[in-house]
Amino acid sequence: MDSITTAASVVAAGLAVGLGAIGPGIGQGSAAQGAVEGIARQPEAEGKIRGTLLLSFAFMESLTIYGLVVALVLLFANPFAG
Amino acid sequence: MEPLLASTSVTSDANSRNGDGDLCSSRETSERLKLSEDLESSGNNSGDLSAEYVLLQLRIFRINLVVTAFAAVVSILFVDLNAAISLLLGACSGIIYLRLLAKNIGSLGKSSSSVGKVQLIVPVALVLVVAKVPDLHLLPSLVGFLLYKPSLIIQFLLEPYARKNLVN
Repeated sequence: MDSITTAASVVAAGLAVGLGAIGPGIGQGSAAQGAVEGIARQPEAEGKIRGTLLLSFAFMESLTIYGLVVALVLLFANPFAG
Repeated sequence: MEPLLASTSVTSDANSRNGDGDLCSSRETSERLKLSEDLESSGNNSGDLSAEYVLLQLRIFRINLVVTAFAAVVSILFVDLNAAISLLLGACSGIIYLRLLAKNIGSLGKSSSSVGKVQLIVPVALVLVVAKVPDLHLLPSLVGFLLYKPSLIIQFLLEPYARKNLVN
């Protein structure tokens, strides 16, 4: 792998993780805030709120995982490496 | 096999509370009894309330196992054995990831004020292992890892029926 490909892969890996984590991070923060407020306001619905939070977190965090996987593939299994 | 338990385990103490021993012959029946009590009464403690969450995780775990078995059989029949092994490895990672996520969400608001990121180690370790072992393939392992998403969707679709059965 030549030096330009290596440098571009490292930069792209950093961007994939960094940019890919911004949106889910904001979304998870607001979802957790809403869930904790909901549990505090309505403790009898705690199980249902936590279940819904688990579903939404699993789907939101998969966006971060996509970026993470792209970054790891670029770093450890780069298809552009000669 | 250990289910996806987050914080508190479901104990079958409904028998001792109610005194109707014939209804609580199996563990699942006692879990259902306890959950229907939880749904009916609103003034219980947090341990009783989290039983619904534990049962939800158990349902997701069972559906995940069924989806994983189906995907493994399909990949053995139509692709090859290495792809099926990679898919199974990814599916195991997905189950561990979901368990860690559920554990973090279970402790949200009790012992921690934010959801931890420990579960993200699992896909990192999966990709690293698949990249190092030459017999494993990356794409089937990622597909196997993401099998928890159809399980969650199926669980979401089946939830009204499960809730109806619990109330009845």
